[in-house]
Amino acid sequence: MKNNIKIQRAIHQMTQEELAQKLSVSRQTIHAMESGKYVPSTVLALKVAKVFGKSVEEIFMLEKWD
Amino acid sequence: MNTLLLPHRFKKVGWLLLAITTILYILTIVNNDLTDWKAPVFAICIDELLGEHKWFVWQDTEIIQTVMGVLFIVGGLLVSFSKEPIEDEFIGKLRLSSWMWAVGLNYILLIFAFLFVYGTAFLSVMIYGMFTVLIIFILRFNFILFQNKRQTKHEE
Repeated sequence: MKNNIKIQRAIHQMTQEELAQKLSVSRQTIHAMESGKYVPSTVLALKVAKVFGKSVEEIFMLEKWD
Repeated sequence: MNTLLLPHRFKKVGWLLLAITTILYILTIVNNDLTDWKAPVFAICIDELLGEHKWFVWQDTEIIQTVMGVLFIVGGLLVSFSKEPIEDEFIGKLRLSSWMWAVGLNYILLIFAFLFVYGTAFLSVMIYGMFTVLIIFILRFNFILFQNKRQTKHEE
């Protein structure tokens, strides 16, 4: 699964730290999601989408091998 | 989230206990008299080499090993089972994978010891083996946390 959290962050002019605080997770978690190292739970994915005012599908997409 | 975990402040207490145990351990190597210190303990079962089993008795024993063993395990558990400052699902995943690592590697080492260590030396393996799961977990979990923190910092 890939995501465009980094792009969304840039659009909303948000640092990793700010996004982490809004989601009450650690900064490492944001970094791990952005670099594709960590696939978040459904709850966290929904929260991310909510922060950016988008639907989950607009931020998280399946990849060929998923 | 995970209700098995203690508040973060217990981690410091755990490190302190581990530090004390390490100092005690070094002292016992430097000063052999320390290992001879005796104190009465309550034993559910106790036996001497080639002696008979005694049940539910008070008896003098070398107390330093008891103290070190208990302190190390309590300290190790506190370090392992305390929350990180921000304990979230990603940290939880790292935690779980570190436990798998620790148990797996522990048994690989044990197989190795079974195959290549014999006689009374194996007794040492058994003694150290009581602590290796905790030690491997603590090393691996804290290393991977450190690595992730560093990579995250690097990004900015």
